[in-house]
Amino acid sequence: MEEMNVKKRALELARQIVGMIKKGEFPEIEYPPNSQKNIEFDEKIGYIFDPKAYSRIKGSRVKSLKTLAGVLYGLSRALDHLENGLTMTKRDFYYVHKVEKLKETLFPEDQRETDARIVLMELILGMPREAFSITSDPRGWIYGDIELIDKSGRVLRTDRVGEMGYSVPPRPENIKFKRIGVKAVIAIEKVGPAKNMIELGIPEERKIAIAILQGQASRSMRRFLRMLSDEGIPTAILTDLSPWSLRIAATVIYNSINSAHIPYLASPEARFIGILAKDVEEGFFRDYQFALEPLTQADLKAAIDNQFLPNLQNEFWQEENKWFLEEKKKAEIEIFKAMSPTARKLKDLFVRYLREKLDEHMGISI
Amino acid sequence: MKRCDRMSEEVKLEEISAADFFYRNKSLAGFDNPVRATYTIVRELVENALDAAEVPERPPQVEIVMMEYKSKIKSSLPWYKMAVADNGIGLDPDEIPRAFGRVFVSSKYRLIQSRGTFGLGGTMALLYGQITTNIPFKVISAKENEPVYEITMMIDIKKNEPVIIEKRILRGVSRASFTIVESFFEGNYPRAKKKIIDYLHQTAIVVPYANISFLDPEGNFYIFPRSTNRMPPRPKEALHHPKGVDLELLQRLLRSTRARTLKSFLIRHFQRVGEKTSIEVLKLANLPPGKKPSKLDKQEISSLFHALKSYNRFLPPDPSVLSPLGAGLFELGIRKELQPEFVKAVQRPPSVYGAHPFIIEAAVAYGGQIRLVGDIQLYRYANRIPLLYDVSSDISYQIIKKIDWNNYGIKSPEDEPVVFFVHVVSTKVPFKTVGKEFIANVPEVAKEVELGLRTCARDLRIFLSRKRRKETLRRRYKLFKMYYQIIADTLRDMLGERPPIEVLLNRLSANVGEENGGDECKEESA
Repeated sequence: MEEMNVKKRALELARQIVGMIKKGEFPEIEYPPNSQKNIEFDEKIGYIFDPKAYSRIKGSRVKSLKTLAGVLYGLSRALDHLENGLTMTKRDFYYVHKVEKLKETLFPEDQRETDARIVLMELILGMPREAFSITSDPRGWIYGDIELIDKSGRVLRTDRVGEMGYSVPPRPENIKFKRIGVKAVIAIEKVGPAKNMIELGIPEERKIAIAILQGQASRSMRRFLRMLSDEGIPTAILTDLSPWSLRIAATVIYNSINSAHIPYLASPEARFIGILAKDVEEGFFRDYQFALEPLTQADLKAAIDNQFLPNLQNEFWQEENKWFLEEKKKAEIEIFKAMSPTARKLKDLFVRYLREKLDEHMGISI
Repeated sequence: MKRCDRMSEEVKLEEISAADFFYRNKSLAGFDNPVRATYTIVRELVENALDAAEVPERPPQVEIVMMEYKSKIKSSLPWYKMAVADNGIGLDPDEIPRAFGRVFVSSKYRLIQSRGTFGLGGTMALLYGQITTNIPFKVISAKENEPVYEITMMIDIKKNEPVIIEKRILRGVSRASFTIVESFFEGNYPRAKKKIIDYLHQTAIVVPYANISFLDPEGNFYIFPRSTNRMPPRPKEALHHPKGVDLELLQRLLRSTRARTLKSFLIRHFQRVGEKTSIEVLKLANLPPGKKPSKLDKQEISSLFHALKSYNRFLPPDPSVLSPLGAGLFELGIRKELQPEFVKAVQRPPSVYGAHPFIIEAAVAYGGQIRLVGDIQLYRYANRIPLLYDVSSDISYQIIKKIDWNNYGIKSPEDEPVVFFVHVVSTKVPFKTVGKEFIANVPEVAKEVELGLRTCARDLRIFLSRKRRKETLRRRYKLFKMYYQIIADTLRDMLGERPPIEVLLNRLSANVGEENGGDECKEESA
């Protein structure tokens, strides 16, 4: 369905350009740029792409001529991939331009050039790159009592497809949920602690799902979390206590500026449950401050920059961020290991912490 | 004693000093070492030949042959035999010993500009040859339809007198007039070669109406053919400009004049002074116009002198005393030798520094066959003689360094194919040193040089901006063609239909075409 849309939209654009050339006009493409003017932020929705200003790629200008040719070439390659059921990564797309006949024209200097073109194509078509076959290496797993039907029509239960669960595909839109048997989903930044929870049988016992982000949540993971959220499943976010992790949490909740033009990536209902500064100061980890890590230079710079990010402006985020600037310390989820030499103790701690936090922030008891 | 009160076209020969002095002060005249001497000998004999040939206002033809001479005497340096021939009016056999056999016998010591820096150069060259080889030199010359004389002679250094060794008639009648000077000297051609070729090349620019050829000791034959028969007008002798006299000269003129009144004295002995000006100057000096010139006392002479200096309404000096090349000929010469894409020459109006009239001719050439040498390329001339040494000390070089060339479309003159030319024409070229190789920083001269160069540079800027615009349009067209090719191919892939991009490209090529005939573009779009 979406594939058809992409094709239709791309061919329409091609025909428009042919039409302009036939009239003896230099062709132009109009599109809404993802500039600040076109992006708004709303605490309840996240980033909103609301085009007011439009840009033109003019075929009469030396400057934008390359872009025009590049967009058309990129689209034709994408269509070719779509028609043949093939996907490509950004790196693949870069190599698609490293061909002999483009040597003096579209041959890219580095991947940033073609990456920027991909964003442009998204803006022109109004669709995410995954819709026109340019996907990322999949990153992110979901583990829990969730039954779904994947693109090929198979029914899967995400806690029965491997140690880490179901690997979220590049286009989660193709998935349909059949049955959801969990009370909440907990999105966890770090692979290690998340795997431990699975290995300790916590998802099964406590009727929760674990989403493993593995760092910054991928676009496909964010889309998938939003789909779960739309199904009414409460989403909790568990990260390190660090300047970077604030961004990870905020991106799950609000989406990011870079992908603001892609809809349905934000989960405004999701809640950031920890690790919070107060957990270290007076809460769960107050007796384990010796296990904190110092901030690196890069961490500190991130904290300074955090003061100006639009999606971190409300009081809560700024209070959290202030702690880093003042304490110059961070806590990692792995701190549970420092608190629990034995497996049994570890499980107790995880469960106690999750129970406390889900209750406090979301009114959910597990 | 100078006689400036009468103009004359006939060649005047005047004795000034002795050969001995210059024998002892060789470096003054450019003979300080064998390399420099080799170059100077070529230069002086060629200048003499060009001067001789220009007198009758026929396009000069100068032929130079230099070959190694196997002498019986053992010498660490090679000896050369050199012959320079010109097609001038030729010399009377009786003139020859005086003209070539004494130092400072020259026609150059009057208020008239001519080629040559020392007025003794030719003879110095011959004297140097005699000193180093002890072989006599020969002058072979004939006037039109007269016999050909060959005179073999030497110079008696102490007495500053020619010694004729042999004088004979080679042929009864010569149809054409000519002079050949043949001499021997010890030198170093391999090391002087570059300077000599540079000198001939730069000379060929400033005398585009001359044929110059040179057969060198290595067997290379260089030809600098003329590109025009047009010659610049000969300079005329003229009266002194009132601003150009010193007190001494003024006194001498007052003593020797035949004018009966001060008024007629001024009119008679100075250029740019008529009845009205004369009266005004005398009024300024507070002297009666009717007073007899010889009756002036010291005080009165002084006030006349100061009146001449302070009176501001004299016309500039008569430029006819000077012999500039003219912008047209300058450009011809530059085009002929450098084949640039652009050349612009200007002749500045006559001006005066101190007591001396001068004219600056400046030119700028760009592109074409001009190569980069990694430094400022400046060709300097003084009274049509190329100056090859000490370029960086020259005022013109300093002016070029000072000018912000960005204003004229040039990032840095060192890195672009641009050559500058400055020709200083004067009855007294303001050389800085006795070596006479570079022009001093005289404010009046510097100003004219700068104005001349800037005038040429303005045209260069226009030329460059047109050229660059054309290049930009051409590059743009090429770029458009490449990208629209991709666009067309891509659209054909997507839709099975190739859009008619040629219409768009033709629109662009029409724009490119406006700048020049557009032939190339028609080809491209075909």
